[in-house]
Amino acid sequence: MRRLSDLPEDTPARIRALRTPPLLRRRLLALGVRPGAEVRVVRRAPLGDPMEIAVGDTLIAIRHAEAAGVELEE
Amino acid sequence: MGCPECHGTVATAPRTDGIRVVTVGNPNTGKTTLINALAGSDLKVGNWPGTTVDRLEAQLRLSGGTVRLVDLPGAYSLNPTTPEEALAARELLAHPPDVVVNVVDAGNLERNLHLTLELAELGLPMVVALNLMDEAEAKGYTLDPAALERALGVPVVPLVASRGRGTDELLAALERARVPGLRLRYPGELDRAAARLADRIDHPAARWIALALLAGEEVPIELDGELLERARRLRAELERVGIDPYLEIENARYVRAHELAQTALLGSEPRLTLTDRVDRWVLHPLLGGPIFLLGMLLAFRFTFLFSTPWVDFIGAVQEVLAGWIAALPLPPLVASFFADGLVGGVGTVISFAPVLFFLYVALAFLETSGFLARAAFIADKMMLLAGLPGRAFIPLILGFGCNVPAVYSTRILTGRFDRLRVGLAIPFMSCSARLVVFTLFAAVFFPERAAWVVFGLYLLGMVVGLFTAWGLGRAAGQPASSGLMELPPYRLPTMQVVLKQAWARTRSFLEGAGGPILLAVLFVWLLLNLPPGDLEGSLYARVAGWLAPLFAPLGITDWRLLSALIPGFVAKEVVVGTLAVSYLGAEPTAALGFVQGLGQILATFWASLLTTLGAVPALFGLPQLAPPPPDAPTALQAALRASVAPAAALAYMVYVLLYTPCVATVTALKNEFGRFWAAVAVVYELILAWVLAWGVYRLALLWLGG
Repeated sequence: MRRLSDLPEDTPARIRALRTPPLLRRRLLALGVRPGAEVRVVRRAPLGDPMEIAVGDTLIAIRHAEAAGVELEE
Repeated sequence: MGCPECHGTVATAPRTDGIRVVTVGNPNTGKTTLINALAGSDLKVGNWPGTTVDRLEAQLRLSGGTVRLVDLPGAYSLNPTTPEEALAARELLAHPPDVVVNVVDAGNLERNLHLTLELAELGLPMVVALNLMDEAEAKGYTLDPAALERALGVPVVPLVASRGRGTDELLAALERARVPGLRLRYPGELDRAAARLADRIDHPAARWIALALLAGEEVPIELDGELLERARRLRAELERVGIDPYLEIENARYVRAHELAQTALLGSEPRLTLTDRVDRWVLHPLLGGPIFLLGMLLAFRFTFLFSTPWVDFIGAVQEVLAGWIAALPLPPLVASFFADGLVGGVGTVISFAPVLFFLYVALAFLETSGFLARAAFIADKMMLLAGLPGRAFIPLILGFGCNVPAVYSTRILTGRFDRLRVGLAIPFMSCSARLVVFTLFAAVFFPERAAWVVFGLYLLGMVVGLFTAWGLGRAAGQPASSGLMELPPYRLPTMQVVLKQAWARTRSFLEGAGGPILLAVLFVWLLLNLPPGDLEGSLYARVAGWLAPLFAPLGITDWRLLSALIPGFVAKEVVVGTLAVSYLGAEPTAALGFVQGLGQILATFWASLLTTLGAVPALFGLPQLAPPPPDAPTALQAALRASVAPAAALAYMVYVLLYTPCVATVTALKNEFGRFWAAVAVVYELILAWVLAWGVYRLALLWLGG
């Protein structure tokens, strides 16, 4: 299973499912991180965590542990 | 006005006299800038009643009549994940406005239109303000507002609010506001269930409410139990056939939002934006850290370089007033009541104003510019150690300047529990008032290692604060808070709004905390002066006597040291002044002539103004890292050295660092988190301060000897 947390930088991928706790899922959906959307890792923070992702025109900071629940299509 | 019936099934256009208009939109869509552009000097800034959420409001006088404009807090969705979103949803459902102005970021259509589709289900007349057209253009997007207008069935007005472009058109469009003609369809079963449920709801937003109930959301208006029960059954049925209502609803909205965005998009040639270019440096793997620290330092120095001259000015005015009072033929006790009690108390209250004002300006600038989100991004991993989100870094750092605005700045955090945890950690951040005490004691007892002792105290405070926040999280069994947030595009804040917001927040503090601070100063004055005569025979010294057994294990036995902790509740720097009075006796206030005093006030005002202007280049100069030399009289230093041992002095410093925050901070905690938590904070800190001071004393005894 491919996870968003393992996605290399600047490699677009499509989201398959959100396997996260309910509140985090709601927050992700509110920001446009949803199954079917294309996502790209822009960069990782200087200390390695969190990472910056781009979904559509939105830039989002997300922690490694949180991104591990975002499943990507193969 | 045309005849409303002619419009047939379309909802009638509202009259524009006396109507209530609300602006709704995602965070970072320039809503604040827009409402400022519309309202100009009529803009009023305050709080939503019973909350700590900023509220912007204005009365607009238009050709069609008066319009009341209210800005709702930014929301990504009406299914709330933050207190601000909950407030926006509650306002829209419980007090439906006459017109909804949906502010949409033209450069981020898809995500913004998701909210538009939710709003469309509320059954309220609507206008879409397509803001930030300039940014969309810079991103390489060519948009067709008319196509969006046709698809949504409501007026769509393109704007660049920051330059006032399109605002007249938006106001004119209020008259054409209508209930969106667009009806979003959901997958078969879900749509049927929603329609069945909506039929039983007597509310213009019936469809939205029905969908929210099916998604398992709490709806912020009263609904009868039978309806809720029916919704629960319908949801269970849907789940049985493998439908996740929440996900399906969100998905249908996003698919439609995507289609709508495509309809409105004529062309797109992606370009590198300003945000991309700036972030390449600000979030650089190596340079990101140093740039972040530099930015924080700059914000910090801005606040204190600009506010210090005015705090000094207020002090100078106080002295002149005291001099004038001394010139009056009054009995000494009455003169002291006016000069030290009243003037001193009011002065203490007012001297918070410059610090708060400039800190709020710096904070608003950091937040609206987009820098704050980047700072949180960089600090996130450090904050994760304490189980806090990256944003918690800002209030904690501000705490080193002054705890009061730091407590109010916890509002930048999204969760209520995170706000409380950080709020309770803040008083341990050693504010600049406590530095006055530390530098005096460190210079007297540890002249060789003064800087290290002060640094160690700061570090101790920070560790205790982070431990408090972490411990509270663990005790409540909360998982580590989320680091999820939007990194908004870089933008220049509207100065007028920043200044207005800063002033409104400062004023609200003065109104709320002025009374308690004044009372605390008067109370301390009473202790010091009753019964009149010798200080050693006063209530003040007597209270110290009662406290003595409590502090004996810390090695602090001198009544003058103990009693100075009481006025420390008013403001921590007062500890030094009170020590000087009790060790060396009060210096009589010299009488001052009226003209002479006026001259002094004018001269200090001029000097403060010059220092403020001079602070602009100093802002970028090298920071002074060494603590300023203590200006306390050497007589006090000698007296202190004679009265207490170094180990006990260290315990005293630790106690001053950690014990109850000043009355202004306690009031701030009460305003933000309620009476209960303010009381918890005071008791917790008093106990913790004693325990840690005792520990430090025992360790120091081993190290330094008695």
